Amino acid sequence: MTTEDKRALLGHFLAALAYRTQKALRDAPASFGSFRVEDGVRTPAELVRHMTSVLGYARTHFIGGNYWPEALSTFDEEIIRFHEMLGTLAQHLRNGDVLLDGMTEERLLQGPFSDAMTHAGQLALLRRLAGAPVPPENFIVAEIRPDRLGRDQAEPVSPDKVWPEAPKNN
Amino acid sequence: MNDKRELLRHTVATLAYRGGKAISNAPPDFKDFRVAADSRTPGEILAHIGDLLDWALSIAVGKQTWHNSTPLPWEDESARFFAALQAFDSYLASDQPLNAPVEKLFQAPIADALTHVGQIAMLRRIAGGPIKGENYFKAEIESGRVGADQSSRRTEFD
Repeated sequence: MTTEDKRALLGHFLAALAYRTQKALRDAPASFGSFRVEDGVRTPAELVRHMTSVLGYARTHFIGGNYWPEALSTFDEEIIRFHEMLGTLAQHLRNGDVLLDGMTEERLLQGPFSDAMTHAGQLALLRRLAGAPVPPENFIVAEIRPDRLGRDQAEPVSPDKVWPEAPKNN
Repeated sequence: MNDKRELLRHTVATLAYRGGKAISNAPPDFKDFRVAADSRTPGEILAHIGDLLDWALSIAVGKQTWHNSTPLPWEDESARFFAALQAFDSYLASDQPLNAPVEKLFQAPIADALTHVGQIAMLRRIAGGPIKGENYFKAEIESGRVGADQSSRRTEFD
């Protein structure tokens, strides 16, 4: 497999992560960042910081060193930093930068990239538990593009019109 | 084999490894644990993952179909999860044409399934039966290894 092909698919992975994370966060209630469903379960703000942390860990395999992001004072800042990290990591992929210490694209995918994707699902679950669920959609037609990694993501092309878990006022 | 197709197979193997960990050794009655009135139970989520994998295969073969299944008993639904992974992976490993771009298969059913595995893991914690953390970087995840028999050599932590 060519490295270019692998990296192109990893770039698409990051774009899907950006899209799904924003789907879970867009128009969330103001207090959502600090919503704690139960002791021992991360809040959305803690989850987003952790997602930034695992992606930052992935980045260390391009630049060396360590990455331990400190907690930021607002949820908004956490979200901004998360998208900045997505962009930085994607740039390393696009540049064809060398992976250090024998790291491979497969291990990036199975480790931090997939970690972050599972956490995006947890954000969506917390949205539901916080009483503000987001509608399902057909993701196969979603506008997910490798050059669109920021907070400004496309609206769903094909949201479900009927969904049993919809809020009563939906 | 298409170059990207092979990396999709590795993603499917990752789903098998991570999903297998999330669903194995679950607490009794975990299948029906409902954390809120309008949220899915783990059994419903796992059945949905099975539906997603069936959908993925139907897209790959060019006959897209969707079916909402009724959750099976936990062990049976777990077996269905691995069987669906095997069926999809076998198609990916074959010389048969892929009737959709790899990117689309990834961004829809497979990414969706990964997010739902994360949800089952979170529900395990809320239900009082958390799974251990793990450095998945080091996990022995191999393309084509998509059954219940996953590597036991793990770098786990509490």
